[in-house]
Amino acid sequence: MTTLTYPLSRIEGHARVVIDIYDDEVFRADFQAMEMRGFSYYVQGIPAEQITVIVPRICGVCSTAHQVASVKALEDIFDVTPPPLAEDIREVLLLGQLIQNQATSLFIFTMPDRVNASSLFEMEEEQKQRQFSMAQMALKIRKIGTDLISLAGGQFIHPIKTVIGGVTSGIPRQKADEMIKTIDTLLPTAVEMVDHYWELSMIMGDRIGSWGDDEPSYYLASTEENSLRLNSNRIRVLCPDGPECYNFAPYEYQDYLKIEMGDYSYAGVSSFKGKHVMRANSLARINLAHSLDMPIADAYLKRFVETFGRPAHAIMFFDLCRGIELVYALEKARKMLEADLEHGQTEVPYSPRDGEGFGLVEAPRGPLIHHYEVENGLIKRADFVIPTVHNMLAIRRALTVVAKRYVSPQGIDSELEKAVGRVVRAFDPCIACATN
Amino acid sequence: MEPKKELPKFAVLQLSGCSGCEVSLLNSNEWIENFDLVYMPLVVSSHKIPDDVEVLLVTGGVRTDEDIHNLRKGASRSRKVIAVGTCALSGGVAQIREAHQARQSYLDASHRLRLPSMLPQAYPIDRFVDVDLYLPGCPPTPELFITALTEAENAKIASIVCQECGRKKLPDMRPKALTGSRSGVVLPDICLVNQGYFCVGTSTRGGCGALCTRPGHACVGCRGPANPYLNKEPSFVLDNLRRTFTRMTDIPEVEINEALDSPWLSLFLDQFTDYTQDDALPKRTKEKMI
Repeated sequence: MTTLTYPLSRIEGHARVVIDIYDDEVFRADFQAMEMRGFSYYVQGIPAEQITVIVPRICGVCSTAHQVASVKALEDIFDVTPPPLAEDIREVLLLGQLIQNQATSLFIFTMPDRVNASSLFEMEEEQKQRQFSMAQMALKIRKIGTDLISLAGGQFIHPIKTVIGGVTSGIPRQKADEMIKTIDTLLPTAVEMVDHYWELSMIMGDRIGSWGDDEPSYYLASTEENSLRLNSNRIRVLCPDGPECYNFAPYEYQDYLKIEMGDYSYAGVSSFKGKHVMRANSLARINLAHSLDMPIADAYLKRFVETFGRPAHAIMFFDLCRGIELVYALEKARKMLEADLEHGQTEVPYSPRDGEGFGLVEAPRGPLIHHYEVENGLIKRADFVIPTVHNMLAIRRALTVVAKRYVSPQGIDSELEKAVGRVVRAFDPCIACATN
Repeated sequence: MEPKKELPKFAVLQLSGCSGCEVSLLNSNEWIENFDLVYMPLVVSSHKIPDDVEVLLVTGGVRTDEDIHNLRKGASRSRKVIAVGTCALSGGVAQIREAHQARQSYLDASHRLRLPSMLPQAYPIDRFVDVDLYLPGCPPTPELFITALTEAENAKIASIVCQECGRKKLPDMRPKALTGSRSGVVLPDICLVNQGYFCVGTSTRGGCGALCTRPGHACVGCRGPANPYLNKEPSFVLDNLRRTFTRMTDIPEVEINEALDSPWLSLFLDQFTDYTQDDALPKRTKEKMI
């Protein structure tokens, strides 16, 4: 037996791909998380109201989604409904995170694969003579996301403004206007970069001769058919042959999602109804969307569906869908900032009580649920239902497909290492979250 | 164009943590022009720290046997080591107080085949290597990263969070309970302690710009204790907080004591005082703190 081990870079956290080969044939491809965070153990027994500050630390990339999901889970237990203004500010916050995440995945993590560079910064060296420096532009677009999180969340990593009952304060008009101006200046650049990315992806697909062929799968998203609202309430499921076939509330998740631990990874693995491969993240949302309700993003959506069909299954489509979502989030954030987010009630009082609760948001990687049990004011149990975990079977299957493509009795094609990186990055896994 | 190799080599080693420090660093562009980034797996496809690194940033705590190996190797190839963030300074979430039972069930659940082994606890990095500079925060702001990288010697850091907060302390507004966060309203411009919040900005190192307290969230102490409390035993900072709440509020002592036993404090503010109890750890002087 031959075992190939590929350490991974340009993803969140520590992970590697291990491929076992017997008699010139791929026996197994595995995606292994190398660390265990352990928050579900360490939060047991802490005062429930403090958990909203602790659990964002599960992941610095996804801290916004964790913070909002955590607050929503406690609001479910305490039976408190935040005012509409707070819900809107939370949506702006989550849009900021989507911009930050998709810009990072597109330009920092995956763009180098399309131009054969080891990093965005190396690319910059080579492209200094170009009209605009791609790295600088990418970081500026990404910064719109982090600035939006700061505006709506107080700080852009481990934000604090979302609290049980609402948000601590609104968004001042002047700050909102500055942000709108920045978006207006940079949206054309973002569109240009997404087009460029799309074009480079097509060229890469032609060179490789594949977009990452794989079997159809189930798709999971908590966004709606005609709106990509991220501060979400229900999870929708698309069946492999096309129609939307299930729709469930967060408290029902255990009826649909079976989560197990494996021997070779610190991350869990989940399956749909205990047996099926499913996918979450950008491609799931786009496959489940009929309209994004924003003009430029809708034009991209139309182009995507006309070119690749619906549902689309190839692995590299995740990357293109991230481009569509980046444009969507910029347009949507701009529109939301036009409204008055400064005046009015931002939070309501609450009284803590014991019970069980669920908090759902659509994180950049898919539906995220925090599930808590509170007893005597303390956390008795905390489960974090993580989108990356829902993609684990799909990642493994995609890696097996790619390994079979490049392993033959004649030998192992040197393209395999790059292909492994591309496949994993298409899913944009988050190891810190997956090992919470 | 200047040849790239003339810039000092810069590496970022991530041990067990959340990547938040890296994400913060990515928001401060200045270092891109001043350093040659040779290792940072989050953004560069490089799997080995090269020799002759000028500055090594270490984020995350020491949580696995692989972390120890990578940390020692990285530090031996670098001239200057900067410890960044709560985890590198104190270990991180595994250090939430009174977590013995949690720690045991965590360890029981953490056996895997062919993967790095989890250590019985999380350690700060200065238990294993010499550290030249400490940059506390969860995470430190982009501005603090720039200060640490470019002007550490002349850094002027606000002594406590209150200095940058701008909220006014009112002598006559004395809350009777620590239930401010349940009230459904945060009054602007007035100290959060006056409003019944368990805010520990009075003892916490400044420099963060009071990011949390200005929009209305209590300081949880993520920058660690202010200079006067460095290397003091844990009770020293707790006593000081107790005095602050007794002076400014009419909250019963039992409620204050309960709050002082909070996981927030054990995760953040205690991040230095915890380790004054451990002889294996070097003293952390204020000259080495950003």
